[in-house]
Formats: sequence, C-alpha cells, structure tokens
Amino acid sequence: MAAQVDSISLLNDYPKEESPWRLVFRRFRKHKLAMISLGVMLVLFLITLFARQIAPFEVDEITVGNYFLKPGSVQEATGRVHLLGTDNLGRDLFSRLIYAGRISLTVALLSVVISSIIGVTIGAISGYYGGWVDNLLMRIVEFFLTIPSLPILLIISAMLLKNQDAIPIPQFLLELAGKLMLLEVREARQAVLIILVLAGLGWLTSAQLMRGMVLSLRNQTFVEAAKAMGAGGAWIILRHMIPNAMAPIIVDASLNMANYVVAEAALSFLGFGIQEPIPTWGNMLSATQAYMLDMPWLPLIPGLPIFLCSLAFNYIGDGLRDALDPRLKL
Amino acid sequence: MLGYIARRLVQMVGVVLISAVATYALLNLAPGGPMTGLRQQQQGRNRITAADIARIRAYYELDLYLPVRFSRWLIGHPRGPITVGGTEWFANTPIGCRQPIEKNVRNEKGKIETKVVGCNENVYLRDLEGRKVSRGILLGDFGASWKLLRDRPVSDLIMSRLPKTIELIGLSTLLSLLLGIPLGIYSAVKQYSRFDYIFTSLAFLGSAMPTFFFGILMILVFSILPKSAGLPYLPPGSASAVREYVVPLIGTIQPDTIADRLMHLVLPVITLTIVSVASWSRFIRASMLEVLRQDYVRTARAKGLKEKLVILKHALRNALIPFVTIVVFSIPSLFGGAIITETIFSWPGMGRLYFLALGDSDFPVAMAILFITAVLTVIATLIRDLVYTLIDPRIRYS
Repeated sequence: MAAQVDSISLLNDYPKEESPWRLVFRRFRKHKLAMISLGVMLVLFLITLFARQIAPFEVDEITVGNYFLKPGSVQEATGRVHLLGTDNLGRDLFSRLIYAGRISLTVALLSVVISSIIGVTIGAISGYYGGWVDNLLMRIVEFFLTIPSLPILLIISAMLLKNQDAIPIPQFLLELAGKLMLLEVREARQAVLIILVLAGLGWLTSAQLMRGMVLSLRNQTFVEAAKAMGAGGAWIILRHMIPNAMAPIIVDASLNMANYVVAEAALSFLGFGIQEPIPTWGNMLSATQAYMLDMPWLPLIPGLPIFLCSLAFNYIGDGLRDALDPRLKL
Repeated sequence: MLGYIARRLVQMVGVVLISAVATYALLNLAPGGPMTGLRQQQQGRNRITAADIARIRAYYELDLYLPVRFSRWLIGHPRGPITVGGTEWFANTPIGCRQPIEKNVRNEKGKIETKVVGCNENVYLRDLEGRKVSRGILLGDFGASWKLLRDRPVSDLIMSRLPKTIELIGLSTLLSLLLGIPLGIYSAVKQYSRFDYIFTSLAFLGSAMPTFFFGILMILVFSILPKSAGLPYLPPGSASAVREYVVPLIGTIQPDTIADRLMHLVLPVITLTIVSVASWSRFIRASMLEVLRQDYVRTARAKGLKEKLVILKHALRNALIPFVTIVVFSIPSLFGGAIITETIFSWPGMGRLYFLALGDSDFPVAMAILFITAVLTVIATLIRDLVYTLIDPRIRYS
C-alpha cells in the first residue's frame, strides 16, 4: 500500500511530459517576427486558396475603356470596385494579384516538396553508401553550386519553354497542376516546366545537408544497434536517418520556399518563366515597368507581395531554426 | 603540392570539357532552333525554296551531324579531307544531310507531325572545304554571332560589353567589401547592442529583398519621383545619355562626359552594393562571432592584449578565411555580370548581353558566355583552394 502511494506521488512530482512538436511550437512562439510571418503567410495561403470566391473579377476579364484606373475606382456601369485599379488592358489588378499568388505560391510549394524529396534521397544514399557514387555525386553538386545559378536557370527554362510541346508530361500531372493553380491544362504545362526547372537545380543544397546529417548519424549507437539487428540500408535510412535529420531539412525547406518564390518571380520578370496572360507576380511586375513613369504606384502592387513572402519565409525559417535546434547553423 | 596542382589541372580540363558538351547539347539537341521562324513563312508569295532552306541550313551548320558540328565548334575541325602525302582521305565520308526527306506522320494522338525519314543528298567531308569555320572555342575563337551582331565575331560583342561590366561589378564589389567587412566586425564585437540589433534587422531585410524589386524601387525613389517633383534626380537607365539633359540644382550635363557617366553609374552600383553588403556582412558577423568564442581568443585576452589587437589580429584574420570563397567567386561574376540589375537599368554589360542572346536565340553568344563563365568558375575554385593553404596552415593538400 505504501509503495503505491509513493509511486503516485512520484508521478505527480515528475514534470508533465511534453510532446516534441509541442515543445518546438512553444519555442517557435517566442520568435515574434516568425509568428507574425506565419500569420501573414496563413492569411495569404487562405486568400489564394479561395481565389475564385474572393476575387471580384475574372482573371482575364477585360473592360473596354477602363484602362489604368486608379486604386479604388468604381466601374460606372456596374458599380463594382477595382480595389487596386486596372492595368493597361483594363483587367482588375486585385483579382489578378490573387490568382497570381495562387500560381506563384503553388509553384514554390511544389518545387520545395520535389526538391526536398530528391535532395534527401540523393543525400542519404550518397552519405550512407559512400564510395565512388558519393564522390561522383558530390563533385557534380559542388560544381553546380559554384557556377552562377541564374544563367543556368535562364538557359534551361528558355530552352524548355521554347520546346514546350516536345517535352512529354503525363496528362494527369498537367490536370492536377491545372486544378491546383486554377489553370487550363494547356497553360499548366508552363507552370509544371518551371517547377521542374526550379526543383531540378534546387535539390543540390538539400542533398549536401542530408549527406552531412547522414555522415554524422552513421556512427551513432542506435544505427549500429539497428544494423546489429539485421536492418537493411533502406530501412535504416527511412526509419532512423530521415526522422533524425528532419530538423535541418524543415529549416532548409522553409528558407528554400523564400528562394523559390523569388526565383520564379525573377524568371517570369525576365520573360523566361510563366508568360502572359497567365498572371504571376513576376510577370505582372515586369509589365508595370513600362508604365511606372506615369503611375509610380503600379510596381508596388505585384512587388510588395513578392518581398513580403520572401521576408516571411526567411523569418519562419529563422524561427524554426531557433525552435528546432539552437545550435543549428544554416 | 606541385603534384596536387597538376592533378587538379587535369581534373579542371575534364570539367571544362564536360561543361562544354553539356552547354552545346542543351542548346542544340532541342528541336526548333533558328529554322522555326522560317518554316512559318512558307505560305504565300514569299515562299522560300528548297535551295534557300539548304543554304540557310548550311549557314547555321544545321546540315551537319551533331558530333561534327560540336567538334567544329570546340576545336575548329574537321575542315575538309585529311591530306597525307598528296592523297585525300575520308573525302567521301558522309558527315551530314543537305536535304532531309520529311514526311507528315499522324502520331498516336491524331496530330500531324513532321518527321525526318531519310536523306536526299548527303554532305561529304570534301564539301567542308572553303566553308567558314572558327578556330574553335578551346583556342579562344567563339565563332560569329547569329543575330545580335550578325556575322560579326562573338569576341567583338564580348569585348565591347566587358569593360562596362567590369566597371559596374568591380566598383560595387569594392564598395561592398569596404562597407561589409567593417559593418560585420563591428556588429559582431558589439553583439546585442542597439547597433547590432538595428544592423541585423536591416541586413535581414536586405538579403530577403529580391534584386529586381529593389532595382525598381531605386528607380522610383531616386529617378521618377524626384524628377516629377522638380528635385535633382538620377538617370534611370543605360550607361550614358544621348543628348544633354538638365538636372535641377546640379545644372546641364553633356552626354558621355565623366559627370554623365557617374550619374548613370550611381543607381546600379548602389543596388548591387546594398544587396551584397546585406549578405556579406551577415556572413562576416557570423564567422566573427564563431571565432570570438574560440579558446585562442580567450588566451589572447587573458594575456592582457589590447582588445583592438585581439580583434584585428587574432580574431579577424581567422574570421576572414571563409570569406575568401566569396571574394574569389566574384571573378566569374566580374565577367558574367549581373543579369537582373543590368537588365533593369539597361546597363550595356555582359549580363544584359547574355539576356538578349537568350531572348534572340543567338546561341553562339550565349554558349561563349556560359563556357567562359564555367572556365572562370573552375579557375576560381582552384585559386580558392590554393589561397586556403596559404592563409590557413591547418589545411594541407597532398
């Protein structure tokens, strides 16, 4: 009887155990700017998710004569309000901005997912098995990381976009991408190609990161124990390496999200990304350049969301890094 | 050490060759190419004849097989039959196709596609004699431009743009170093001070700011808005003016004078400098903080050395080691230019040249720039590794 009381009091004395994710969130909350950024991004994602419901006009709804309306102007005939004004063709900038956000954010998100999967797989294989495969892969990664990335990005997407129809992409993928980005199947091809280009060059840093993690985990006792119990390479990588390397991968992914939003915008801005009339923040910004002499506020409309996203994902990454592992350096 | 350098040189040649193959394949394997536009003009009275097509194909060397074309681009050979002791060898080896037989085939989706099914007339090695050919990119001859300066050597184009890029990138790199290093050090030494707090926030904003948006903001703030308000303004683009212009409070500026060129230089240089100061000084700060925690810094302080000496002599020298990488890799960008900044400010440098070449499908120009960039990158990597051994005795290569 006495023993039982003791164990209960012991249980009460012991601090309540916190799940690791709750702990991470508690630490993340301390980073005020990261929390604000998270809120901003959630709002942005929600707005773009309900793009059809929120946008007052269609993407390419053209009103004849209503060119370059100032923000807040009211259409006389229908009484509808152009919150951010209209562009050179009389299209509502606010609606286009929302649809563009849907595309820009989806492109960045899918690129992050794909590049992280490729990077983690290649990094894990390279680090775990070592040998000449590792050597070759890492030399290639290093070379691509040293050459300036923008020229390569430009030339590959220029070549891909010129020969769009020659590149086989499964129909269901195009349809899926079209649904995600509210695009027609024909238009979705461009977006899919841009995702492939961004992810195809973006996995390099993730692979290096994962390889480093695997190398440091490889000699830990729990991996040795798993090996001693007869676990194979694939099992060890999937069950032991990847869960233990999750922290830096997540931080890397959120910082990459910022990079991809900017990279997609830069490509579209330079005319080698997603083309008009499909709206993206990048090509809307480049379209405003011609008119900024008379309407200096125009570039701010698509430019600020790009900057905001880049900043927010950087802050979120910063906050996650502090929360997941303060010693982590990325 | 010599053995190491020799081994690295061999590796470098390999990497350069691989990147040449990759660049060439990327631009030449894709369908389309320079003939795409012409095919669409085939209707109506301006219809081009088969002979025209053959001539244009020969001009772009599209009538040669890909390996032959590549070899002519890389080393300038083959140029014709090989003559040994008066007899010509391989003169009748087919190396291309002058008139491919094209057939419209219905593919599985029911669309009609044009496919090459055979060859009417071959190109033989003897036909190459007298054709214009470069000495090969490996020997520094980049061939002739296709569009931007038709038939003129690519090297002319590059040489006319390179000084402008070196002027822009060189100046902004210098300024970034002069500003970034002291800012980073000061911020690290005064960690958690008010200066550090403000500085890190600003640097964070700066490194998250996309260059293209920043450039446009700069044009808005320093060029368009002050100009319309009647205040002194800076020209928004190009490297020099065409005719004289009046700037309030400063006066009339004649085109292509030093004052004019300086006025044009300010905005792009500031844009590039601010962006790189933001990231470089963050880098210096992090690396400095790391070094300041080391035991030898504590030892130096314990010995009673002056703080200034500890920071400048013991800490800074080690904090700058990883910075070598950044500085060395500004060599390739000194050549390649800054594509986005040069495009926004219409700066006539290499970055804009590359951008225009890609847009106009002027492949010889784009390939030359990419190839030189790859070579310079490989050289920069070697320099970095060698400099590391010089300044950090802990690193040894055998």
